[in-house]
Amino acid sequence: MMQSSPLNVRRAIIWIGRLVLGGIFVYAGFSKLFMPNTHLWPMFVLKFSLSMNLSSFAQQVESYKMISQEASQVVAHTLPFVEIALGLLLLSAITVIMVGFLAAVTRAYLLHMDINCGCFGTPEKLTGMTVVRDGAFTALALLTTVFAFMEARQPHPWSAPEKA
Amino acid sequence: MPQSAAGLSDVDPHKAFGSKSAPVTMEVFSDYQCPACKTLFTTTNRRLMDDYVSNGKVYLIHRDFPLPMHAHSRVAARYARAAAQLGKVEPVEQALFQNQEKWEQSGDVDGAVAAVLSAAEMTKVRALVKGGTLDPMIDKDYALGQTYRVNQTPTTVFHCKGQTYPYSGIMTYDILKQFLDQLLSQK
Repeated sequence: MMQSSPLNVRRAIIWIGRLVLGGIFVYAGFSKLFMPNTHLWPMFVLKFSLSMNLSSFAQQVESYKMISQEASQVVAHTLPFVEIALGLLLLSAITVIMVGFLAAVTRAYLLHMDINCGCFGTPEKLTGMTVVRDGAFTALALLTTVFAFMEARQPHPWSAPEKA
Repeated sequence: MPQSAAGLSDVDPHKAFGSKSAPVTMEVFSDYQCPACKTLFTTTNRRLMDDYVSNGKVYLIHRDFPLPMHAHSRVAARYARAAAQLGKVEPVEQALFQNQEKWEQSGDVDGAVAAVLSAAEMTKVRALVKGGTLDPMIDKDYALGQTYRVNQTPTTVFHCKGQTYPYSGIMTYDILKQFLDQLLSQK
């Protein structure tokens, strides 16, 4: 049986933090790889676009004067992928958790289990409305993830070292 | 936006290098006060000239794109333009980029240029700079850059076989070489 869990600020911060940081990380990594040069085809042009973007990023890393030129190259060519991977993990975690909640609630509803849903601090009987509400939350999590990826495709002023 | 090298207009012959009939044309939109432009110039320009421009593979055009955020870049562009009209663009561009930090601080572009030209050449350059005929040429380059949506320097626009590829940022010579070789090998 699902246990009640208190609604608390900590949980809200974790969720909001995951969404915000996950979106920012994916955006940051994506923009370093594909902005400002976005030619995607043919393959050698795509390769050149990526090389140009990463070369420019390496210059920015080197400008901090914290690590050597060689180390800057290594950082520039790995950090964007790490950022995207971390961002995806953070974002997908939200959706995975919501899908998990929805599955558990739906199963309990279909089995006519007379239980407290355990969704918030106040005891609440699990009903069809609980399933609908969790379904809406899951859809929101999915939409947030999809929109985060779509937003990552928009140009970002931080990616341009020399603005006109 | 121009679609091919053949369609390029307003090319100042004093700031263009190589054969006009080269299979690849590169337009480099640059700002003399921009550190990234300095890096691009010092790391790729000489080798590009030796390996691709001098043997007719690439037609290289230097375009002025003085960014408003840089206080002395337009002045530097005027001096480089003036020197170009005397056939002295290469030593002057080299002097401007190599001493960028100095004249950026002092604003003494004249001194940086005077160090690599004779007194007689410098007199002509100063007359051209004061003549006011160079700004319209710089403005034309800037306006052309805007049609390519250039918003940072350096931006290099490659033209090959009717295709146009604008690229922003610094490239290493090895990466540039790979790209040029691929463009040249296209059928």
